Amino acid sequence: MIFLIAFKNIWRNKARSLIVITAVTLGLTGGLIAVAVMTGLVEQKVRSVINTEISHLQIHSPSYLKNSEPRFVIHEPEKVMQFISQIPGVKSVCERTLLTGMAASPNSAAGVRILGVDPPREKTVTNLYSSIPDSSGGWFTGSRKNQVVIGHKLAEKLKVRLKSKIVLRFQGTDGNLYEAAFSITGIFGTASSVFDETSVFVKKTDLDVITGGESGIHEIAVMMKDISSIPLIQPQLKRSLPGCDVQNWIEIKPEMGLLTSVIAVEVYVILGIILFALAFGIVNTMLMIVFERTRELGMLMAVGMSKARVFNMIMLETVFLTFIGGVTGMALGAGLIAFLGHHGIDLSVVSKGLSAYGVDTKIYPIITKAFYINLTIMILSTGVLSAIMPARKALKLKPVEAIRIE
Amino acid sequence: MNIIEIRNLSKIYDEKTVPVYALNGVDLAFKEGEFTCIVGPSGSGKTTMLNMLGGLDSPSAGGIRIGDTDITSLRSRQLIDFRLRNIGFVFQSFNLIPVLTAKENVEFIMQMQGIKKDQRDKRTMELLNAVGLADKVNTRPGKLSGGQQQRVAVARALASKPRFILADEPTANLDSKSAENLLEIMEKLNREENITFIFSTHDARVVAKARRVVTLEDGRIVADVSKN
Repeated sequence: MIFLIAFKNIWRNKARSLIVITAVTLGLTGGLIAVAVMTGLVEQKVRSVINTEISHLQIHSPSYLKNSEPRFVIHEPEKVMQFISQIPGVKSVCERTLLTGMAASPNSAAGVRILGVDPPREKTVTNLYSSIPDSSGGWFTGSRKNQVVIGHKLAEKLKVRLKSKIVLRFQGTDGNLYEAAFSITGIFGTASSVFDETSVFVKKTDLDVITGGESGIHEIAVMMKDISSIPLIQPQLKRSLPGCDVQNWIEIKPEMGLLTSVIAVEVYVILGIILFALAFGIVNTMLMIVFERTRELGMLMAVGMSKARVFNMIMLETVFLTFIGGVTGMALGAGLIAFLGHHGIDLSVVSKGLSAYGVDTKIYPIITKAFYINLTIMILSTGVLSAIMPARKALKLKPVEAIRIE
Repeated sequence: MNIIEIRNLSKIYDEKTVPVYALNGVDLAFKEGEFTCIVGPSGSGKTTMLNMLGGLDSPSAGGIRIGDTDITSLRSRQLIDFRLRNIGFVFQSFNLIPVLTAKENVEFIMQMQGIKKDQRDKRTMELLNAVGLADKVNTRPGKLSGGQQQRVAVARALASKPRFILADEPTANLDSKSAENLLEIMEKLNREENITFIFSTHDARVVAKARRVVTLEDGRIVADVSKN
């Protein structure tokens, strides 16, 4: 019956209750969308970095990680790759030659990171090929020698176009300097302007020809079928490849791991602040309700309603009020997030800033199911905490005085 | 047999500044089945007396025994439970819960007592029938007249099967016809079911129906008349 009375009491003053419910609904909807955009932004950033640059796991010679000299190569890379490919849970593996050098055009020059790759195998690990618009060539077309794929930022810097020639100068594994002319066959554009400005992709076989021998493998990149299997497979690889250093994506780019961790906490802080602010409105409303119903509360205590029941009644009313607003807010927020998550939010007006940050101009908001569960607990807690002050106020009433208040 | 015994009951307000004796050494007893009116001018101590009998206020001196229980020695929590199980209240301004129907207003007292649903339903219908509101069970107080609301309040007061009912100016907010009707119902309940009623009132119609009239003045009993 307390449950029934509490629920019916909410609708005594419909306008007032609807105002509180609307405030909670809008506050939560806004908060949820803000949180979803932030989460989506970080997710896209992380996904972009993994898919275009670093993959899930990378294997290097331990010496190479300390000092990125070309001579520190992985020994017997074919065997290593074959071993990794056989592990269940591994989706694909590719090898890379990593060299630091200069790219020069007739107009300009820039320091670059040259990645010697096996183009078909690289496609199975990274999706850089998909970042090349149709009008900007392709991912190593045909069997022509000395093709190079560069980022659009570098192309702008060197003032070159598709089919232009650039000269790459680099130090080989033997310590000698080499240079060769390459023809631009593809210009990619990822979400990261830094990556686009500094990365140059060539065929490893071309590097072998230029250096007159094996150019060496400095990096083996591994993609998992499921990102969550990294904690299982990484230790296995570390044990099996004692001469190699196996790093996961967070170890390779700690700032990405930090960003993910910070955002995981920040979303709760944001929603917590919103709920805290809403709690003041709820407390105020409930105090008004207790004040208005002083005589009735006095009557209830006079006829034998225990303090615990009075407390519970006020508590339930507050929780109902908060929860109705909370559920409506979550439903509205979830609906909007589902819509925006499908269609995306076009932020091309701030494309420059987003590109520097390494994020696409279209953001797809996202929220996990676990977050909704935790949010439900937070809303219920807000209701309970907001009820304490009004309920205590009700308990302090003396029935003999309360029943005479007009 | 006395169901209520009041001994040397005093209530003093503003004890530390200028003491005002709302009740001053009152000795009184009520027997089961009485239909008693407490009358007196404003400020004579009627309401204070009813508050004391209902365990809503504590005396400055003296004691009140209801059955075997000295209610002045009960702690707050015990007193709430005692009220629930032993005393029925009828207030001047009805004090029904506006969001509940007539049936629910009567029933919730029994639910607080832990009575099972089927028994609650049966007794609620009996009580609403007894006060002539069997056709208004699902009506909310806002849709009932003042007289009907007060009859629901009487049914609610009876719901817990109390030892006695305290009615503070029960007819004050009613028109004469409704007041007459209410009094007839209460008188009938008293006569046929031996329910004890104690009123505080200014209403001559209530006084006329009462079989005992206790008159208070300045916190003292100045007359205690029983009619045959």
